[in-house]
Amino acid sequence: MTAAPSYLSGIRRLRDWLLTRDHKRIALLYLVSITVFFFIGALAIALVRLELFTPQDDLLTAETYNKAFSVHGIIMVWFFLIPSIPATLGNFLIPLMIGARDLAFPRLNLLSWYIYTLGGAFTLYAVLAGGVDTGWTFYTPYSSFFSNTHVFAAAAGVFVVGFSSILTGLNIVVTVHTMRTRGMHWFRLPLFVWALYATSAILLLATPVLAMTLVLMAAERLFAVGIFDPVLGGDPLLFQHLFWFYSHPAVYIMILPAMGVASEVITCFSRNPIFGYRMMAYAILAIALISFMVWGHHMFVSGQSMYAGMVFSLLSFLVAIPSAVKVFNWTATLYRGEIHFDAPMIYALGFVGLFLIGGLTGLFLAALALDVHLTDTYFVVSHFHYIMVGGSVMAYIGGIHFWWPKMTGRHYPEFWARFAAILMFFGFNLTFFPQYILGYLGMPRRVHEYAPEFSVLNVLSSAGASLLAVAYVLPLFYLAWSLRKGRHASANPWRATGLEWRTSSPPPPLNFGEQLPEVSEGPYAYDPDPKHGRR
Amino acid sequence: MPMTRTPNMVGAESQVRHSLPGQAHAATLGMWIFLVTETLFVGALFAAYLLVRTVHPQGFILGSRETDIVLGSINTAVLLTSSLAMALAVDRLRADMAGAAARWMVATALLGLVFLGIKGVEYLLDWQHGLVPGPHFRPGGDQAPGMELFFFLYFLMTGVHALHLFIGIALVAIFAVMLRHGRFGAGLSAPVENLGLYWHFVDVVWIFLFPLLYLVHRT
Amino acid sequence: MNGSSARRLVGVWVLLMLLLALTVGTAFLPLGVGNTLLNLLIAAVKASLVVAFYMHLRTAGTPLPLVASTGLLWLLLLVVLTLADALTRPSLSAPW
Repeated sequence: MTAAPSYLSGIRRLRDWLLTRDHKRIALLYLVSITVFFFIGALAIALVRLELFTPQDDLLTAETYNKAFSVHGIIMVWFFLIPSIPATLGNFLIPLMIGARDLAFPRLNLLSWYIYTLGGAFTLYAVLAGGVDTGWTFYTPYSSFFSNTHVFAAAAGVFVVGFSSILTGLNIVVTVHTMRTRGMHWFRLPLFVWALYATSAILLLATPVLAMTLVLMAAERLFAVGIFDPVLGGDPLLFQHLFWFYSHPAVYIMILPAMGVASEVITCFSRNPIFGYRMMAYAILAIALISFMVWGHHMFVSGQSMYAGMVFSLLSFLVAIPSAVKVFNWTATLYRGEIHFDAPMIYALGFVGLFLIGGLTGLFLAALALDVHLTDTYFVVSHFHYIMVGGSVMAYIGGIHFWWPKMTGRHYPEFWARFAAILMFFGFNLTFFPQYILGYLGMPRRVHEYAPEFSVLNVLSSAGASLLAVAYVLPLFYLAWSLRKGRHASANPWRATGLEWRTSSPPPPLNFGEQLPEVSEGPYAYDPDPKHGRR
Repeated sequence: MPMTRTPNMVGAESQVRHSLPGQAHAATLGMWIFLVTETLFVGALFAAYLLVRTVHPQGFILGSRETDIVLGSINTAVLLTSSLAMALAVDRLRADMAGAAARWMVATALLGLVFLGIKGVEYLLDWQHGLVPGPHFRPGGDQAPGMELFFFLYFLMTGVHALHLFIGIALVAIFAVMLRHGRFGAGLSAPVENLGLYWHFVDVVWIFLFPLLYLVHRT
Repeated sequence: MNGSSARRLVGVWVLLMLLLALTVGTAFLPLGVGNTLLNLLIAAVKASLVVAFYMHLRTAGTPLPLVASTGLLWLLLLVVLTLADALTRPSLSAPW
């Protein structure tokens, strides 16, 4: 085997990482950073679930508990989930998938990581200096007037990291528009690229509003003029409208890339083309569009106008349609396929099932009359964790496994990977299914003690959380192990379609050889079995 | 395309894209996308303004009457003229007249400074008249909360605008100097054109700020 | 080509100045809510002139006008749905 240089060769000094412009190295920088933040956020919630093991407030004071769930939310949303797939897998794969040598603006890409790190520093400072207790939602007037915690520093951290998101989104959109290789028409793009394109559009259109919302909140905290204070003539709902205009689309920033991963993995491990490619692409766009019109469903009981509530409720039902289309199409893709249950596939199938459950419960919450009872209970907590954790996180980890051979040139140990995936699925359900019931029975969220009748379900949930913890830590070990001891990977170990598999594992610095690949057919050209007659 | 390339080679962009016009096209698309994000950024303030104004219509009217319509109008004219200067600079550059282009850019920056100067004078007068929200806010009466919120938004919106303008002035000045030293020619005018897009955008924001802040039911 | 493009830019500037005079002038006419609507309309025209002629959107290639309109549309979405709440809320004054 000739020792052709890969993008990982020639790394001698720290500056080869810190001053790189190679999208693949930047992806790895992000991978390390977000993993660190993931475990910080996980530590915070470990405290919470430990406290909730018993009904009494015997571990943490109320103030510390509030800080724990706030830090968990802030870190998981902004420093893990939002950048997760776009900045790691997106950065690494998009140029490869479209047949380009890098993203459109490599230096902006590196800047984006530095901005992320700066935002992270602000947030870590806020945590270490004593934390913030407003919840990740920073609702006013508590955050802008009453809270005595490090609101400013935490808001500054989120403000800064928002610009990292914006630059990533900008880079991806311009890249997909201007750098597709010959023959790579829009409707030949892998769905992963479509998903990240739509995600980037959301990043670009929503994040700036969050930035200004935080500015307003901080200005209010500094000057107390009362823009969010009803006593001084202001409106707390103004904050909520501006906040959720970003934060609802933000959850689609978190799920769309996961859907992209699912399409890539499910097609490969069923050896079938995706069912309904165009509809899948249109569904991605529809989800991104409608996601901007539903934010008021977070405000049904806030004092918002009943008429606005009805409009938002109706639109929220609407967004379920393209999501359902995608679930149907993934399922149909499996039909008469040659299914292989490799670890990435276990993650992808788990994603579909858990996203389905989470999505359905979203419909419950979109119904005004039900939401009145379920809002601010554990039902909501479970709903969004089913989608963000059961959905996004599982898809993310599945994607990491799927493209691990490509990124590192090594195979991970399949047994441990499958074990972790299955453990994660069971641990997840044990953690969060009881929370649906708890919410339905009336247990409120964000409370550090609860009525004794909720005890059993909370114990189950906390027990599940410890299984989940093991399942998350395991990959750290075996993936690290694989870097040294894993079996070397060929260019296309999964026999997948897609341009990223037409170059070596790991890829050379400029992604492809002398000639960029050219495309003459659509994606997912998996050979159907002629025996079954599937076209 | 050269194959021996260390990962940190300078000028990565020119290595990874195939042609100069291709690069310019990408940069312009990137700038427009950035301007869209700016639209939503300041847009949030416009949304806040509109919501608060529907709740305090009278307070906003009284507040707006306290703004200096003369200085505001002059400033609007100054900024519109600076846009003309910037547009002419780009026009000259496209015609490969770098010297003329640089001169028009200097004019743009100077007009921008005039705008900031007048704004500074306005802020000073506002302070003296007790219009700055906070403990020194002078207006009283039952419309005072609305008036104070008006001025809160006034200072925040014009302040954010002034900050963007200041950055624009600095960049225009730097680019003008680079232009004089032969940095951009007709083929490489994209950065200057994109800076022009930014400048015009700042102008467009002011075009909307002006009537919303200075011309609320002046009669 | 040289002179005519510059002439067009100056022509746009003249229009902008006229519109500025118009918006300030009409501000002193008692038109009630018409003042605001007129001002916003004039502002929209001025902005369109700047965008079309100074920012060259009139002659720009495919994605650019779409990109620009998307920004505007999204802003409208934010404003319209937020105001939809604010304008349809019942007025419940506090007892004190």
